[in-house]
Amino acid sequence: MAPFDYKKEYDRYKRYYLSMEPVLTKPVNQAYTAIIFSFLAVSLFGWYAIRPTVQTIVTLKREIADKTVLNKQMEDKISALIEAQATFGDVEQNLGVITQALPTSSDPVTAIAQLQGLAQESNVTITALSLPSLPLSQKQIGKQQSPSPTIVSFVVPMSVTGTYADVKNFLQSIGNLRRIIQINSMVFAPRTERMSQATESATPQATGTMVTVDLKLTVYYMESGALQPKTSQQEGESLL
Amino acid sequence: MTTKFAVNSGGTDRDLLLISVFTFFTVSLWVVFEVLKTMKTSTVSQATTQIVVPLSPKIDTNTIQVLLNKKQY
Repeated sequence: MAPFDYKKEYDRYKRYYLSMEPVLTKPVNQAYTAIIFSFLAVSLFGWYAIRPTVQTIVTLKREIADKTVLNKQMEDKISALIEAQATFGDVEQNLGVITQALPTSSDPVTAIAQLQGLAQESNVTITALSLPSLPLSQKQIGKQQSPSPTIVSFVVPMSVTGTYADVKNFLQSIGNLRRIIQINSMVFAPRTERMSQATESATPQATGTMVTVDLKLTVYYMESGALQPKTSQQEGESLL
Repeated sequence: MTTKFAVNSGGTDRDLLLISVFTFFTVSLWVVFEVLKTMKTSTVSQATTQIVVPLSPKIDTNTIQVLLNKKQY
């Protein structure tokens, strides 16, 4: 590499700048240069100075607007919570009926007790009753438990015997039980017998047509407390 | 060795002007879109939005009354 010869380089650049001089002195070129540098200066300052400033202004204005709306929503929610708390205090002592209607576990024993009590009151005899395999508590459901609460059900096949009037009364009263139980299907098998010979619960003096009804009842409960009914397939899965 | 410098000022000036004008417009549009994006973007966090979800204070007392009237053995 040749050593730097400042005289030669100076001479070269001097000639270059001297040849530029007539070009820069032209009014058109001066105007062009002014315009070009103006645009570039505005662009540069626009990006590094104006943009952050405008952005900060807009962000702050937006934040003020958002916080104002948020404050209003918070106040509304606080009022709603106070009102809800007052309403809740009024109905708090009766909230147990909701758990009785839709327990948080399958609780088949209580469901069967309801049917048994109703059968006794209606003078019908439960001749057969079976339960599917059920998770007795939510802990046993374990990993199958969905994060969102759901309503699930299980089917209880049962047979009852009694006079036509008593069986009719029993069937009508099932819908009037606090525990939510639905009749899926029923098969009637009439038999003409003396009432006194048929069942122990029947009134000895009463006579009538004895009827045996095979029922399929659906008993509902809530896994975690939401209102999202499952399909029959999902119900089957939850029962397994 | 002598070097001749020929400056074609007309074409170069026009090119530089176009470049500076396009730069200016690009920067201007960029600034405008950034400001618009800032205006449209909410400053409220997702967690706060979930907190202020409206709550209905009404409790269906009719249903509780209906359930109370039903039989429990």
